[in-house]
Parts: sequence; structure tokens; C-alpha cells
Amino acid sequence: MTSRLYIKRNLDFELSEINVLDADEKELLQISSELGVGLSLKEMKHVKQHFSKKGRNPTDVELQTIGQTWSEHCCHKTFKGDIVTAKGKLLVTNMFKEYIAKVTRELNLPWCLSVFEDNAGIVDFENGYAIAAKVETHNHPSAIEPFGGAATGTGGVIRDILGVWADPIACTDVLCFGPLNYDYEKLPLGTKHPNYLFKGVVAGIGHYGNNMGIPTVNGAIYFDESYVGNVVVYCGCIGVLPTNKFTRNTMPGDIAVLAGGRTGRDGIHGVTFASAELTKESEEVSRSAVQIANPIEEEKLKRAIIKIRDRKLGSAITDLGGGGLSCATGEMAHRSNCGVQVELEKVALKHLGMSPWEIYVSESQERMLLSVKEKNLQKVLDIFESEDIEATPVGKFTGNKMLQAYYRGQTVAELDLHFLYNPPKARRVARWKKPNLIEPSFAEPNDLTHDLLKILSSPNVASKESVIRTYDHEVKGNTVLKPLQGRYGGLSDAAVIKPLSNSWKGIVISCGMNPNYGKIDPYWMAASAVDEAIRNNISVGGRRIALLDNFTWGSPEKPDRTGSLVRACQACYDFAKAFETPFISGKDSLYNELRIGPDASNPVTPTLLITAIGIIPDIRKTVSADVKSPGNLIYMVGQTYHELGGSEYYGLRGFLGKAVPKVRTAQAKRTINAVVEAIDSGYVTSCHDLSEGGLAVAAAEMAFSGGYGIQLNLGSVPRARNMKRNDYVIFSESNSRFLMEVPEKRREQFEALMERNVCSAVGRVEKNKRLSVFGLNGKRVVNASLGRLRDAWKSTFGGQK
Amino acid sequence: MRYRVKIEVSLKPGHSDPEGETTAKSLKGLRYPVETVKVSKVYEVFLHAKSLKEVQRHADEMCRRLLANPTKDNYRFNIEEVK
Amino acid sequence: MKKEDINVCIMRVAGTNCDAETKRAFDDLGVKAEVVHSNEIVKKRNLLDYSALIFPGGFSHGDYVRAGAIWAKEALAKIGDDLKEFVEEERPILGICNGFQVLVEIGLLPGFEGIAEYPEAALATNTPIGYHCSWVYVRHENSGKCIFTRKVAKGKVLRIPVAHAEGRFVLPKENENRYLEKLYGNDQLVFRYCAENGEPANGQYPINPNGAFHDIAGICNPAGTVFGLMPHPERSYYGWQLPDWTRRERTLTYGDGRLIFESVVEYLTKKF
Repeated sequence: MTSRLYIKRNLDFELSEINVLDADEKELLQISSELGVGLSLKEMKHVKQHFSKKGRNPTDVELQTIGQTWSEHCCHKTFKGDIVTAKGKLLVTNMFKEYIAKVTRELNLPWCLSVFEDNAGIVDFENGYAIAAKVETHNHPSAIEPFGGAATGTGGVIRDILGVWADPIACTDVLCFGPLNYDYEKLPLGTKHPNYLFKGVVAGIGHYGNNMGIPTVNGAIYFDESYVGNVVVYCGCIGVLPTNKFTRNTMPGDIAVLAGGRTGRDGIHGVTFASAELTKESEEVSRSAVQIANPIEEEKLKRAIIKIRDRKLGSAITDLGGGGLSCATGEMAHRSNCGVQVELEKVALKHLGMSPWEIYVSESQERMLLSVKEKNLQKVLDIFESEDIEATPVGKFTGNKMLQAYYRGQTVAELDLHFLYNPPKARRVARWKKPNLIEPSFAEPNDLTHDLLKILSSPNVASKESVIRTYDHEVKGNTVLKPLQGRYGGLSDAAVIKPLSNSWKGIVISCGMNPNYGKIDPYWMAASAVDEAIRNNISVGGRRIALLDNFTWGSPEKPDRTGSLVRACQACYDFAKAFETPFISGKDSLYNELRIGPDASNPVTPTLLITAIGIIPDIRKTVSADVKSPGNLIYMVGQTYHELGGSEYYGLRGFLGKAVPKVRTAQAKRTINAVVEAIDSGYVTSCHDLSEGGLAVAAAEMAFSGGYGIQLNLGSVPRARNMKRNDYVIFSESNSRFLMEVPEKRREQFEALMERNVCSAVGRVEKNKRLSVFGLNGKRVVNASLGRLRDAWKSTFGGQK
Repeated sequence: MRYRVKIEVSLKPGHSDPEGETTAKSLKGLRYPVETVKVSKVYEVFLHAKSLKEVQRHADEMCRRLLANPTKDNYRFNIEEVK
Repeated sequence: MKKEDINVCIMRVAGTNCDAETKRAFDDLGVKAEVVHSNEIVKKRNLLDYSALIFPGGFSHGDYVRAGAIWAKEALAKIGDDLKEFVEEERPILGICNGFQVLVEIGLLPGFEGIAEYPEAALATNTPIGYHCSWVYVRHENSGKCIFTRKVAKGKVLRIPVAHAEGRFVLPKENENRYLEKLYGNDQLVFRYCAENGEPANGQYPINPNGAFHDIAGICNPAGTVFGLMPHPERSYYGWQLPDWTRRERTLTYGDGRLIFESVVEYLTKKF
């Protein structure tokens, strides 16, 4: 480090002035890199300009605070920046506002209570209660230390729920890994083997959720080669809160109380780390960015916060996540139009000798910040003490809209909050080129049983029972529809939770994700993810759906990555708007790239997760996917098209294809409304959506989960006119389709209800424990015993026989 | 006087050790010529006491009262004077 | 004792996390139950104000050292005398999952000669290893001593879920057979893991989910007033909690777990 750039103040603790005033462009970048603040040249110049006007240099505390606040992780530069074409033409300003939040704004639904404002989105529920939901990404930490990364990811998202005064009631997790049998020899330097990451991440998620006593109820595990070196970890949490106990009203004079675990050097620079590409050195240098998880501490914290909430003793709350205390105090002050003064020496530390900037940006886990009226302070401290939680008043909110930090009486930071929360607008170039793809051509097999068995055992379809059983999905005793349902550990399209003991209303949690379609077109990938999340929710009886978006993409500094991001965002707007399902919260993780050479890096395959939170008026009407009774009719609702691009069936043969599944909203909306009505009318005994593996996989899953056979006739499947091959009809992955089981005695009523829809009886449930499918010409194309199908489904990852 | 007591709690012979077995399996999978693995837990306890004898008494008691369950656990410790 | 005079203490410490649903079970039966932090009981010394004591499930103190050990020793050290009196007066004590681990670590179970100085059994790491959450069947083996299963016929098979990583019930190797005979002789055996038709699991996974010796899922003390079990009856209290309730024409109102809570309430109303 050059001494000219860093002027150490002569004090009894460590504090430096950063000489940006005398630094040239090269040196500005050098400072950014040496301090690990991750600021671009444009941003560093903006800082220099700001401090030139003030006539002084920033301190290390100030520059670190700016670096944290302006990180991609904290302020979503790309989503809020300008997107231009390669020629410089402005495409969109603020994708977040123009695509995501616009849906919610335009729909303007009365049940959306608080969206995009806080740590989590809040929608109305029942009897004066509201639902809070949030899904986080924790990709980078999990790539370095899978157990700790995934555990703290779970801990972090639970704190987001506590951060809106809600009681966490369920967790979700969606994970993406490289193939578990990936060749060790091919593994890029500095990356960990998918198998190691898989085991660590799963153990980490279980560790946190189980220890805290929050059931993990919904999720998915997805495999793709591009996740080698770019593991994806989505952790979600759902909570409930009494609506009238929600408060976010910090006033000047309120006390800032820091509660929970002590502050240490763990997790310094987590956010700037999360906003940079991983390199082979990351493994060594980034360990300190990984935090240590302590779920028991958070459990205690939760108890105390709920007590404080119920007695209305706090004026606002937020969790300490990315950027630690610096971001938490800044945000809390900024959103209530206040200022804040923090005395850093009051922060309880794990070890001595931490410098003020380290204290301010540390991301040690299990910490929350509350603002408390002075008259309530003692009561709040007493509540924390009763749960054996350390809590310390560390500062005061002011009216001056400044962030002021002190250490042993010395001013170590004095930042204008307006400056801090108005970073220079990022500008990204977007270019999306349609990939040059073709539809494969191969002969139609006579018998499709073998293909079906292979798809059932393929990693993205196979049962994840061995993982799900390591998560406690029953704790709290409110899990109505479980991730493993029925007598044979069958699957569920969604989880249903009954959160209130005095109401039959339930919360329905589901998700949708189709990374493979994105290789063809990210627009239709996003459309399909929205459709899948919604139809999973509808399948069990959910409705009035709110969505959460989570983007995992490559570096936004590369035009093709940003180009595909823009397309996905456009689809989010188009389809969420059409389905009238508002976005209430979201998060993006960019820079998921594995550097493999000086100028080369492998991006993650664009991965959009859509989480759907619905409600069901009476949980006793919940419908599961397992077939119930021989003799019942099987109906197919929705049209099947020649859409096998990105399908499991093509994948089996090594093809990607071109005809990606689309979403036809007018038709889809009619279908969804009819499905909900049929479920409410009690006509439906089982329902399952069609997704990976199409009709064949859906029918197989329904059959072996229920223990009864199904006979299907492909000739009756509603389909596009050009669908002439059995394999295409049975394995097409067209969206907005459902299989429904209806008793014979409900036939007329059901058909009347479905009159205006694409719907037809395609088969029956049979006592005979086999799946048999008769093709378009009447010849049998699938014939397999349920035992064989179930064994194939459970062969890949194991499960109870 | 300040002492360090290093306490090792291990499974009694005859009790199955799933953690050891799983670890052994995994090491064998990495092609090490592993026969068996035994897992034990080590506690380093620092304390002040007047004499070695007193430390011994404390250590033994700690093991019996909390750190080991005699149904399945053996324990042993060694004591070192430290600064 | 009248039903409305019953006052159940559901004790908790850091890491306890099944207290709310356990309380809900008593609420549903119209019995007063309070969730109380152990610090408060230590401070107020009021354990004897309660008619029954529950150690609920969770990860008390992170399950460090051994599952349940730290809470057990803390309870012995701080409220040991009250606890002894509680047991001697034959007021019921129930330990569910982590609570069972606590009762064994305290020395209350099997408790052949009252509170044992050192544990006479252990709940060891599962085989196969790892946290395991699933529904299991248990067969009722008790001939009437256990007051928590008085409403369950001998030989009846109950369906209740388990969720734990340390639930393998073991006895000291050198006393294994002698202790097992004692458990039978004293009518202390309560639940054994079994197949749906009641046939013993014979150690076979996943019917026996953790490798427990003799398929033991739950035992009581010789008086029948202290009972611990690994499965969670509070998660099998309502019919809609069952894993296949959607398969029934008509949803059951209650699950098998309720019988345990009903039994203890009945005992309290009759005995005191």
C-alpha cells in the first residue's frame, strides 16, 4: 500500500484518511481494490468530487461505508441503472421500476400491504394477520464454504422476516449444482466438486432450519453443467404478523439498539465479495467473508423480538445483513428521513483490536437493529436480557439527515445520507442475440417405457426424498400439505401451512424455475417460471397469488448477460401483469461467473426463481397429487403443443431444440380459474401440474404416489394439430396444463364447469398397479408397474421403499 | 495456578459409531487404505486451581457430570500447567 | 383435581422449539398450560406450583456436548430438589424428543432406583447417521403402568412422526440384557417401532428410524409417571397433520398423538 494514499491518523486506535483528493484515476482504482470496497472508477470519481467540495478526504470508515452501500448486493445498481444498446441507445432506465415494481403498481391490489419497502414483502392474510415473505440468494459464500454459506443464507432470510416484525413459520430452499458425477479431473482450479457442495449446502440448510425449529417445506434441486463453479443457493422464509403491530416510524431522538450476537471479523466484505466474480484465489482469500452460523442465538433473538413487537416497544426494526451496521443504521435513518449518530466503541465485540471500520461493516450473524423511544429503552433491554441476549444502545437518531459515527469521542465518519443513497447511476450495455438453434430430428421409438424410466431417474426429475428427510418439515405442527405426501413419499406441487389455530385459512407456497429454457430464450424461460409457480400453487387449491423474483445471472458488465436479463425482466412484467399476480419482493445476484482465464469466464446459466405465495380459504379442501381411487376419471386441462425445446426428453438424447414452451395468457387464465373452481366445488380428488417430462412424468408421479394404476389414451389428449408423434404428445412440456382426477359421479358437473376450456377425459385410475398409455394409433406405448416407476424415481438419490 | 485440561470423550467399545463408519466409508471412497475410523470429542478446559490434585478432581467430576454419558462414553484427560 | 385447576408447565430454554404446538394440544383439551423459561422457574422457585411438567422438543442449548445434556445438568443443579419432590409426589413429567434426551441425561429415565446419579441409558447418534424426519408406527407395549398411555390399548399401533439426529436408544453393553429384563419386569416399556401391522421392526431401517436397541421408542419410570419418547405426539394431534389425510373421504378430527395428552389429563383429574 502506498503511504501517500493512506494517511494514518495519530490516534490510539486505527483510523486512516484516504487521500482521494490527490489520487489520479489509476490510483482511485488502486484504492478501491486495495481496500476491497469494490467501487468502479465512475463511483470513485463521484466520491472524489463529493469530498473535493467538502475540502477534505474521506476516512476509511466513510469509504468502506460508501463501498458497502453502493455495492450491487445492497443497492442493485444494474436493476436501477440505465440499460443501453451497443450503439448507446437507451433501452430502459431502472428495470426494477419499469418491469418488476410496475406490475404491482399497476395492479394496485388492496391486499398488498407493503411491497419492496422493507426486508420482506407483506400481504394481507386473515383475522388481522398478514403474511411476510422473502427469498434471498447466498451463492458466493456457499461456493467457498458450502455448510456455513448455506446456513447463514437461511439465517439471513429468517432475519429478513424478523426485520418486518413477523414470526418465521416456514422456510424454502432452491439449489443448483453441477452434475454430482462431474469428472474430478475436469474441475476448474479453485472450485469445489459439486458433490462436496451438495452435501455441505444441504447440511447447512438443515442445520439452521432444524435448530431454529422452522419447517423447511418447499424447494427444488436442479443440476446443470454451468453450475460447476457457480453454485446457486436460494433461501426463502415466510412469516406471519399481526397487521396492527407492524411499525416503521423512527423519529429523531429514538435510540439505536443493537441486539444479538457479538461483532467480529467474520464476514468482513461479504457484499463486495458477493458482487465480484469468483477466481481461483477466491477460495483462500475469501474465507473471512464467510460468516459462522449460530441458530440458537437467532432463536432467542426471535423470542425477544416477538415480545417487543407484541408490546409495541420498538419504533422500527431491521436486520444486519450485507454491509453490517453501516447499512442497517444508514437505511433505518434514511427511510424515516432521519439522521443517525453511532458510537462504535459501544458495540459488543468478539475480539479486541478491531478498528472502527471493521466494526462498522462486519457482517457477523444473528444481529438486529431496533429503534426505540427513550421511555421504552429499559423495557426493551429487559426483554432481551430475559432471553439471554446481549443488547446495547449504540447511538441515537437525529433530525439532520447525516450519518455520523464516533469512536472514543473522535468523529470517524460524517456522511450526508442524500449523497450516500444516491450513487451515480450505473450504465450497462445490453445485447441479446437469438441463438442459432434447430429442432432435432430422430425416429420415434415404438415403446416409450424406457425413456420414461430414464426421465424419472434423471437428476432434475428424480425424488429428492433423501434430502427432504434431513429437513424437519413438521416442526410447529402446522404443515398441512408436506413436501413428501401420501403413503409412498410422493411429491407435492406446493406446501400448505395452517398458521393460525383459530382459522382454517392456509398459506400455499410453491415455486417455478426452468433454467434450461433460458438457453433458448430467457423471455420464455421467465414466462414459464411464472406460469409454473402459479400452476403449482393452483394445483393444491391456492389462489390470490403474490410472486417473489430471484435472479441469478452472470456479470452485468458483459452485454450478452445483461441482454438476457432485460428479456427475462420484460417477461416478468408481461406475464405477472397478465396473471394479475403482483411481485412483492425480490433479490438479484449478479456476477456469477467462474473465471477460467485472463479474459475468459463461464457464466452461470441464467436462473430465475419465481416463488408464489397463495392462500387457500379452507385447508380441508387442499388437493394432493396422488391418485385416490380406482375407477375415477383422469382429465387433462390445457392444450399440448409441439414444445419440446429444452425438455427432459430432448435432453435425454443430447438435444436442446428450439421450440421452447410459451405461455398463452388468455387461455391460461381461463384454465386457472376453472381449476380453482373445480377444486372449490369438491369435484377434484387429485391434481398435478405438468412440467419437466410432461404428461408421462405427471401421470407416473400421480400413480405411484397414490398406489393405483392409470390408463391413458393419447388420442384424447387436447393437442395442436401438428402433434402426430406419441413421444411428442407424452413428453411435451407446454405450460398451463393440469391432470385432474374426478370421480365418475362428478363427471357431468365437472365437464359443465370446464365447458369453455380445453379439457378432455384422457384416462382412468385403475386397481391394476401399472401405468399403461395407448398411443395415437391405439397401440400401447408405455407399460410399466408402479414399483418399477417408483424405483426409477427413487434410484438416483435414494428414498424409503 | 493456571491449568489446561485436555479431555477426550470417546465411545465405549461395542457401541456403534455411525459417524466413524460414515467417515471411514467416505475415506475409502477417496481410495485411502482405511480400516476403521473412531470419532471422539476433545475439550480443552482452562482453569485456575491450587494443586494438580484439585484439577484432577474437577476434571473427573466434569466428565462424569456432563461431558460423558457412562452408558456409552469413555473419557480420559491430561493436565498441563500453563501460563 | 378439577380439570380447570390443572396447570401444566411447558419448560423451555434456549433452543427449545416445540413449545407452542405442545401448549396448543393442552389448549385444545381445555387445560391450562404455560410456556415458562427455565430462568424464571429458577428465579421464582415455583416448579411445585404446577401439576405437570413437560420438556418439549428442540435443540436445547444447541445440543452441544450431547443432545439434552446441558439442560439436564442445569436442571439438576438449579432445581434438582424441586424436581425430586415433583417426581416423588407422582406428578407427571413428559419428555418429547429433546425432552426424552433430557430425562435420560437427568437420570430420571429409566430411573430404576429413582433419580440415578449417572445416566443408565443414552440416546446416541442415529444409524444410519443424520437428521431424519418421517412418520413412523409405534406399538403400545405397556400393561397399564404408564399414566401417559392409559387411553391406549396394549398392542395398539399409533402413527406419529419422528425428527431427530440423536434418537438411538441404547443401554450399557455390560447391563443390556439385565436392564431390558428390568424394563419388562417393571412394565416400563411403552413404545416400540413397528410396521403398520404391528410387527416389530427388528432394527430394520426405516421402520426403526434410528437403530434403537430393541426398537425402543419410549419408556417410563417404574412408577409410570415419568415418560419420554422420541416421536412427537403434538405433531400427530389433529387429523390434518397426518401425511395422507388428503386420501380420506372425510378428514379425521384428531390423530393418534392426542391420546397421550388425554391420558395425562385424565390421570391428573383422577389422581389429585
